[in-house]
This record gives sequence, C-alpha cells and structure tokens, in this order.
Amino acid sequence: MAEITTNIKPKLRIIDMTKRYKNGDGVEHINLDVYPGELVTMLGPSGCGKTTILRTIGGFLDIDDGDITIDGQSIALLSPEKRPTAMVFQSYNLWPHMSIYENLAFGMKLRKVPKEQMNQQILEMLKMVGMIGSEKKFPSQLSGGQQQRIAIARSLLLKPEVLLLDEPFSALDAKIRVQMREELIRIQQELGITVVFVTHDQEEAMAISHRIVVMNKGVFEQVGTPIEIYDHPVTRFVADFIGEMNFMETPDGIRAVRPESLSLSRGSQGDLHGHIRTIMVLGHYAEVNVQCGDAVIKCNVQRDQMAGWAVGDEVSLSYTKEQFFATETVE
Amino acid sequence: MSDILQNHAKRKKRNQLLSAYALVLPAFIVVLLIVAYPIVNSVIRSFTVRGQEGFTLANYVYFFTEPRELANILYTLFVVVVTSVLSTVFAYALALYLRFVKSRVSLLIGRLYLIPRFIPGMVAIYAVIVTIRDTGVISRLALLLFGVEFQPALMFNTAGLLTMNLWFNIPFSAMLISAALAGIPDSMIESARDVGAGRLCVFRTMIVPMSIKDVMVAATFVFMGNVGGFTTPYLIMGSVQPKMLGISLFDQFAKYADMERAAAVSVIMFLICSVSAVVYIYSNLKERAWEKQ
Ligand SMILES: Nc1ncnc2c1ncn2[C@@H]1O[C@H](COP(=O)(O)OP(=O)(O)OP(=O)(O)O)[C@@H](O)[C@H]1O
Ligand SMILES: [Mg+2]
Repeated sequence: MAEITTNIKPKLRIIDMTKRYKNGDGVEHINLDVYPGELVTMLGPSGCGKTTILRTIGGFLDIDDGDITIDGQSIALLSPEKRPTAMVFQSYNLWPHMSIYENLAFGMKLRKVPKEQMNQQILEMLKMVGMIGSEKKFPSQLSGGQQQRIAIARSLLLKPEVLLLDEPFSALDAKIRVQMREELIRIQQELGITVVFVTHDQEEAMAISHRIVVMNKGVFEQVGTPIEIYDHPVTRFVADFIGEMNFMETPDGIRAVRPESLSLSRGSQGDLHGHIRTIMVLGHYAEVNVQCGDAVIKCNVQRDQMAGWAVGDEVSLSYTKEQFFATETVE
Repeated sequence: MSDILQNHAKRKKRNQLLSAYALVLPAFIVVLLIVAYPIVNSVIRSFTVRGQEGFTLANYVYFFTEPRELANILYTLFVVVVTSVLSTVFAYALALYLRFVKSRVSLLIGRLYLIPRFIPGMVAIYAVIVTIRDTGVISRLALLLFGVEFQPALMFNTAGLLTMNLWFNIPFSAMLISAALAGIPDSMIESARDVGAGRLCVFRTMIVPMSIKDVMVAATFVFMGNVGGFTTPYLIMGSVQPKMLGISLFDQFAKYADMERAAAVSVIMFLICSVSAVVYIYSNLKERAWEKQ
C-alpha cells in the first residue's frame, strides 16, 4: 500500500495536531496521512488517545494546534454537522425514538434528498448490510450486532469523504465481531471509502487494516502495514503489543523472538537451552513453555512435531528471525 | 414429567403472587383507612346541607354560580396553569443548561439549585417577604445605594404569588427533568450533529422526544401540588380577593365552620387535580412504540 500511495494525494491529513484536555491529558504533534480508499486503524491500549484523535477529526473536539484537512481543505474550524465525515460510535448509536427507516432517513432529509431517491438508497443500503425487512422496527428490537450494522449503514448513506469508526464492534461477542469485521472489509472494498478505524484489539487491527498506527500514551509508536508491524516492530512497545513475543535481555539490549520463530531440538546445537515446563495443545499447534535460566520462553510448535516431547525434557531452542532493541531505544 | 414441571411452575407463580399481595396489604389498608375513607366521606358530605335531609347539589350550585366563588375557582386555575407552564419552561431551560453547558458557572448552579428544597416552606416565604415587600431589603438597598424610591410591589398580588410559586417549583421540576436529560447519552446527540443536525434541530428532533414524558410528569406534579396550595397564598395574599381555593377551603372550614361547603371545595379541588392526574397517567402509561421491547 505504502508504495502505491506515494504519488496519490492524501484524502485526510492530520498535520502536527495537538489536543490537550484541561487536565493535561491528550495528544501532541500528531501527523498522519490517510489515502483515498484506505482503511487505517489506530491501535493502542486504553487511554492512549485513539478516541481523542478520532473525535478531533469528526469535529467533536476542538484542536489546540496544527490542522486537519480533507482533500486539501482545512476542516479544523468546522462544526461536526458541516464536516464531510461520519462517525460510528461504540454504543448507543441509534436514536431510540425513531424507527430504523427514520434513523436512516434522518440525515438524508436534512440534506433534502428527494423521497424516491432516498427510499431507493435506503433499500440498497439495507441490502448491503443484510438488514432488509427491519425498516419498521425500533432500535431496541434489534440485537447489538444488528444495531451496529444500521449505524454503519446510516453513516454510509451520507456518502462521507471519511468514515470514522470508534471501536464499533467492541460491545459485541467474539463470533459476531469476526463476522462484522468481514462485512466491514467487504463494504469498504465495494464502496472504496476511506476509513479510520479505532480499536484496542490487535487481532482486529491486523485483520482489517491496510495500515495500522500503533499508539502509546498519546504518541505514534509506529505506522505501517500489518505485516511490517508484525515482522519489523520498531520499538519494544510495538513488539510487545502486537502478537506474542519473547524478550531476552542481553548486555547490549533486548532480543525479541516470536513464539512461532522458535524450533525445538535435542542436543546442544541451538541458541538457547532449557527444559520443558508445560505443553498446551491449542488445536493445530502446541504452546510449549521452556525454562531457560530465569526466563520462560514460549514456543509455538506444529502438533505433528510434538510427538516424543514431554514435560521436563532437556531441550535446545533455535530461531530464524529476531528483533533487536539496543539499550538506548528501550525506555 | 412435563406435567410435574408445569404444576411446579404454576405453584411457584401462585406463591409469588401471594407474597406480592402480602407485601402490598399493609400499605393498602393504610391507604383505605386514611385516604379512601375520608375522600368518600367528603364526597358524600359535599352533597348534603346541614339541617336538611337527603341529597342536594346546593353546595355546588353555590360555588359555581356565586360570582365571588366562581372567581376563586377561575383564579386558582389561572395561577396553577401559569405556575406549571412557567416553572416547567424555566426548569427545562435550567436543566438543559446544566446538562449541556460545561463551565464553572453551570457546575456551581448545579450544586446550588436544589438548596430551596431544603429550606422549610414557611421560612422561605418569610425570607422572601422580608426581601420583596415595599419596605423590604430590595427597596431599602435601592434607596441606600442608588437613592431611588423603588417598591417591588410584589406583596398582596398575583405577581408575588407566582414569583413565590416559581421559587418553590423550578428546582423541583429541574430535578425531575435533569434526571431525564442525564439519561440521554452524549453519543445520541453527537451522532445527530454528525449527520448534519444543527443545535436547534437536535433539540427539536432528539432532546424533546426523549425527554417530553418527564417534562409532562414534572408539569403535572407542579399542577397538582399547587391546586391545594395554602401556605404561600395565605402569607403572600392574605385575604385579597379573588382567593386561591386552598384559602377558600380554609375559610369555609375554620371561619364559617361549614363542613359541607368545605367538603364541596375539596371535591372541586380534587376534580381539578384529577384532570392533570389523567394527563400524568396517560403520559406515563402510554408505552410508545419505541419503548416496547
Ligand atoms: N473529556 C476529557 N477530559 C479530560 N481528559 C480526557 C477526556 N477524554 C479523555 N481524556 C483523557 O485523555 C486520554 C486519552 O483518552 P481517549 O479517550 O482518547 O483514549 P482511548 O485511546 O480512546 O482509550 P479507550 O481504548 O479506553 O477508549 C486518557 O488519559 C483520558 O483519561
Ligand atoms: Mg476510546
């Protein structure tokens, strides 16, 4: 994605943006370009400032410094209703006193879309999100997943330049969440719409994003494709936050190795030595914890290679890939 | 097997019902004794005249034809309606301000506005009288500070009565309405702004529909509470004509010791209240489509 987009103009730009709350919390010097048709996810632990950034884009928070542009036009001073963005909130999205049809029609009526056209677009959109037949229902009569579908449909109907989603699926149970993810990807591809997605679920971020922004305590730790971020985390925080990682202290820094990069062998030719503490079979692979000195190293081993290993066995570990964080980049 | 289960379920349900009745019974008996009985008694009494046998409409004819008494009824209606409307409007505005404006002033008002509820009625009325009467604090301050003769002219008239009523009822209504507004999540309002609704449009299409029920409830509470108002009118208005029905009732009862007419005034007050009780029950019981599960 990064190579393709370099000669395309960004849809959304956040330029050296600072937003500070009265108590001093907030985000500082944020820079981000989001390209047309791209789905960028902001990922980070609770309280790192994801919602803050999203709300500054949507116009629900005034920024203290910097600028935000869409198609080159500054939107920083516009009120939410004047911005070409649409936001889907985590919960309580739909207006409870309006039927699903009225919820969908509300914004279009404000835009004076002719009735015929409105009805047709609503019908198409309901089909797209798989909710045909729910027009007359009220939000309280829908499940959480269905409500979020309608919320997304409502936002999409207004053809926003940028769609903002703030943890839209986090209140849903795991199965529905995965299903909603897939549908979001499909809809996003079908419409080619630009999306900024917020989540604290790294798996969700890996699954749906073109690019991921990993955030920590109000700053961007790394921006890159899911693969870049997984394979080449630039900071220890990113390495730790995305996927699973073993950290091994060495005198000049920290070595980080993913559990799946490790392989077990007998004898002493490997990089590390220890004995097996636990073996957990998790479907097609097994998680093996190996005690190496003071450290416990986690290895993921294919099930068929597990035969013959038992708890307590002496084992030698070797790895193919590693990340190295020299001492000065470690906090 | 399923028979046994069904029987068990039935028995369980019956036991639950019985214990529910048992819990309600004491309150029910108390209500019967000290509310229902006196009401029935007054209603019956209002159709009698002392020293005469049998059923008569004489008391009601008196109150609805005697110009002085009719004026009292109309005056009461007027004061109560104006009080409910004004206090609801002011309270709604106050509650909206407290809910949506986040500033130091609004925080302060939010902490202070319920204080009037904690001051005993009589104390409050006397305090206000001392402030507003023509030889009161305002008048003296005006003279002292600006050298002007200013008389608020709020004693012994309707303006004063309404002012005092608002003093009591705005905080109460604002409290009820605030609770309703607190129940509207920010994201509802923000998503309305997001799709293009301006502030006024959000108010009209989101806030009003989501809070109107509680606003109506607040208004009916104020209405009912003021129909029988006595202390405030008595202290502010004295015996100025026309009078609130509360004073009229007191006169029938204490001055003229006419229990039958007093009973008739009570029934008339009760009827006026029941109009708003109907509004209350209607707006409370009517489950709008969107509230059904
Ligand atoms: N209205 C506010 N006033 C003051 N501080 C706030 C406000 N909203 C958020 N914060 C603070 O700003 C920081 C970032 O908050 P934000 O809501 O952006 O986090 P987040 O990354 O979305 O977290 P989560 O995953 O829990 O939603 C937090 O430390 C939070 O306490
Ligand atoms: Mg958040």
